[in-house]
Amino acid sequence: MLRQREKTVSFQAGALSIAVHAVLFIALLISFDWKATHPVSIAEVELWDSLPSPSVPKVQPKPTPAPEPIVKNEPKPEPVPVVKEQPKADVKVDIALEKKLKALEKEKAEEKLKEEKLKEEKLKKEKELEQKKKLAEMQAALLKDDLRANEKALKEKKANQQNDALKRLQQQALADDKAEGDQQASSAKAAANAGIIDEYQSKISRKIRSNVNKTLCGTGNPELKFDIGLLITGQLSDRPKLIKSSGSTACDDAVYRAIMASEPLPLPKDASLFSQFRNLKLTFRPNEGN
Amino acid sequence: MNVGVANDMSIFTLIAGASLPVQIVMVILLITSLFSWWYIFIKVATIKRAEKDANDFESAFWTGGDLNKLYEGLGVGRRKVQGMASIFEAGFKEYARHKQQPRMEVSDVMEGSLRAMRAAYNRELDDLDAHLPFLASVGSVSPYIGLFGTVWGIMNAFRGLSNVAQATLSQVAPGIAEALVATAIGLFAAIPAVVAYNRFASSVDRLSVRYESFMEEFTNILQRKS
Repeated sequence: MLRQREKTVSFQAGALSIAVHAVLFIALLISFDWKATHPVSIAEVELWDSLPSPSVPKVQPKPTPAPEPIVKNEPKPEPVPVVKEQPKADVKVDIALEKKLKALEKEKAEEKLKEEKLKEEKLKKEKELEQKKKLAEMQAALLKDDLRANEKALKEKKANQQNDALKRLQQQALADDKAEGDQQASSAKAAANAGIIDEYQSKISRKIRSNVNKTLCGTGNPELKFDIGLLITGQLSDRPKLIKSSGSTACDDAVYRAIMASEPLPLPKDASLFSQFRNLKLTFRPNEGN
Repeated sequence: MNVGVANDMSIFTLIAGASLPVQIVMVILLITSLFSWWYIFIKVATIKRAEKDANDFESAFWTGGDLNKLYEGLGVGRRKVQGMASIFEAGFKEYARHKQQPRMEVSDVMEGSLRAMRAAYNRELDDLDAHLPFLASVGSVSPYIGLFGTVWGIMNAFRGLSNVAQATLSQVAPGIAEALVATAIGLFAAIPAVVAYNRFASSVDRLSVRYESFMEEFTNILQRKS
């Protein structure tokens, strides 16, 4: 296998050959990071996925107080006025009824007087005009009918008036109670809404900040203010207006682009709160970690 | 092939975790690589010495001294003459023998010494060309051997993957890494072998040209002397 002249160098060559392999093997061990730490970083990525969820549960506790005042306050006032206010109404109605009844009695008395007069006349006339008796009787019957009809009409009128008065009173009472309940509910709502508004404002600014290219804003801590008009869909109604510049146009542009890129912005589901978001003045500090 | 193995991906576990055919391929390639490097270093040494010997002998020959003295000096100085000196020795020995015999034609003497030199030249070239075919074979074949080991290992890795409901990269990665070790060893064996083969082939060619030209010139000198 080996030639005569090669035998002198064979041991040296063999040693060199093994040395070359050893060097390569050591280089392989050193240059590669054989401890695979990547699975840990993969686990961190999975944690990132779970991060947005805590912001969602935050929404849940705050809406819950909001419905509570609506449920608690509104039912309460309704029974209270019905119980309290009805007696008052009855008293007033009674007074009205008494007056009306007196009026009715007067009328009835007058009518009775008239009837008596008529009867006296009839008695007088019976003798004189027997033929007219029937007519008179018919007239009396007619008159009675009329009276009854009148009485009925009057009663109906009175009842209607009573009902109207009651209704008005009830409505007034209800309106008062509602106003009170609304005031209570609105104060509770306002507290809850303030939380929601704050949360969504921070959500909006967080979303925008995540889109800001922070390298354009240098190393300092610049502060910008933008006036943002929003539509109810979360889209921008107008171009964001720069109120306070950071001093660097590149930074201003970066935030401007970030706002444009953040469409649609997160808005609360409650449309009544949208008025708070129609015109937003947001302050940005791109370099402030959040 | 669970996560624990993936965390402990040292070169030793990669080699130990490979399937048997891949391990055999790795062993073959490692031995091949060791031998090819061994031959490379041997050839580097022998060719370097042959070039140095040629330079030394040419300088000694062309200084214009007595050829008999040079011939005797070769026989004394070394156990066995090599390279250009051996060609000179064979040619001069044949020339001296023919000279001793009476009434020999000049052309016959020259032909005899040329034949002797050609024989010595062929032996020298055979020694210089030794192991070069081995290096050529390693350079061309070992990448394929490594590729075979890699394909086998990846086949195994994917076959194992088919049994798992949720296929993740961490289940295939160790198998592929193991398999790729075979390709790496094959390339590590092949690249130096190819480079060395090309370099040695050109060195041997240059030496053979020098030997041939020396033979022609020495024949002329002998012809002038006779």
